[in-house]
Amino acid sequence: MITENNLIEVRDLKKSFGKTEVLKGIDAEIKKGEVVVIIGPSGSGKSTFLRTLNLLEDPTGGKIYFEGVDITDPKTDINLHRQKMGMVFQQFNLFPHMTVMKNMTIAPVKLKKATKKEAEARAMTLLKRVGLDDKAEAYPSQLSGGQKQRAAIVRALCMQPDVMLFDEPTSALDPEMVGEVLDVIKALANDGMTMAVVTHEMGFAREVADRVLFIDQGIIMEQGTPEEVFGNPKSPRLKDFLSKVL
Amino acid sequence: MFDGFFEKLYTIYIENSAYTLLIDGLKNTLIIASIAVIIGIVLGAFVAVFKVIPRNNIFAKLLNGIASVYITVIRGTPVMVQLLLAYYGIFASSFRGNPNKALIIAILVFGINSSAYVAEIIRGGILSIDRGQMEAGRSLGLNYPSTMIKIILPQAIKNILPALGNEFIVMIKETSVAGFITVFDLTRATRAIVSDYYTAFVPYLTLAAIYLLLVLFATFLLNRLEKRLRKSDH
Repeated sequence: MITENNLIEVRDLKKSFGKTEVLKGIDAEIKKGEVVVIIGPSGSGKSTFLRTLNLLEDPTGGKIYFEGVDITDPKTDINLHRQKMGMVFQQFNLFPHMTVMKNMTIAPVKLKKATKKEAEARAMTLLKRVGLDDKAEAYPSQLSGGQKQRAAIVRALCMQPDVMLFDEPTSALDPEMVGEVLDVIKALANDGMTMAVVTHEMGFAREVADRVLFIDQGIIMEQGTPEEVFGNPKSPRLKDFLSKVL
Repeated sequence: MFDGFFEKLYTIYIENSAYTLLIDGLKNTLIIASIAVIIGIVLGAFVAVFKVIPRNNIFAKLLNGIASVYITVIRGTPVMVQLLLAYYGIFASSFRGNPNKALIIAILVFGINSSAYVAEIIRGGILSIDRGQMEAGRSLGLNYPSTMIKIILPQAIKNILPALGNEFIVMIKETSVAGFITVFDLTRATRAIVSDYYTAFVPYLTLAAIYLLLVLFATFLLNRLEKRLRKSDH
């Protein structure tokens, strides 16, 4: 059943790569305005889970509802729904042959969400907010890792998404640049943006998460508020995981 | 061998105005090479994309199959044979009365021939682009064709420009067989001069020098283009 305030609802989601079953039936929901942080050991399926939410990975089974629409239905135009689901990647994936500004405006202009002028104005406002307004005419190769990731976040925001998906946004960064990117994500969370974040930054998870999902061996082993998950872990797997990362 | 080389050169090309033949030939050589290279790149890009699209439905599989057969057949037969087959066979009764029939057929054949090689070059270029680029484009809501055209292909083309340039240079030289289907290209013009003046060395050496100059000029243009496209990586 679809509940009104669930932005994303996942039912019995399964994903296999060849014979390897990575997701073994996941049920989850993300409410409007909620910040869900997904943690788990590497190879647990947490990135795959995030990437199925906008169908970058095709699920092998189960259903995903986004704003009440079953996006796993082949008849659904996934491109339309992806416009409302921003995604930020571990490797930034800025388009290297375009200036930062062009990176920001290509999708909104091409998809007729805004005129070139409007898109540029919005991009400039957002770039200013993350301290990159002076880099609008630079190429991605001229930016540091932290700047690249901040630009990538703005690129996703330029589509005015209803939800943001972060796939280990700080894992490819030098340690001294992690903070500046996390600050941008925190500010977004405080603005009320709905988001799902896969991360290894436990301090960050504790600080911004409304709910933490612990994924291991392809299922959600445990979930709850940060206090519950970090303060009072129940499953031995989670206890074991936390003892290694904290 | 070089005795009186420049006198001969002068007598043939200037005094007897054979240079006009060369200019006619040069014009046709350049027309064939430049139009065919454009056909080759456009057609080649389509064939390359048909080969890399995800084969998750019957339509994609069909396109992929067609592209594979196309590349195999075109690359597996000599361009000379393709020319003869097109001129005396497939298009024997097409373009009737068109004085440029042979030229048009030569352009088509060289364009199609080149497209098979270019397709493989571009396919390599597309595969060399990190798959995160496609994912980033798709995650923004852009569809597959838009992402391919706006994001993947520009980067792929930039990476393969040296290989494409090489293809263009090969093409300039390959057009020298166009004379076999009556096209009055540089080589055929020179052969006419050779039989007019009963001398081979001077005209053929001149011919070789002209091809060399053409290739040098093409290389120069390509280097400039490459430099311009490298603007984004500092």
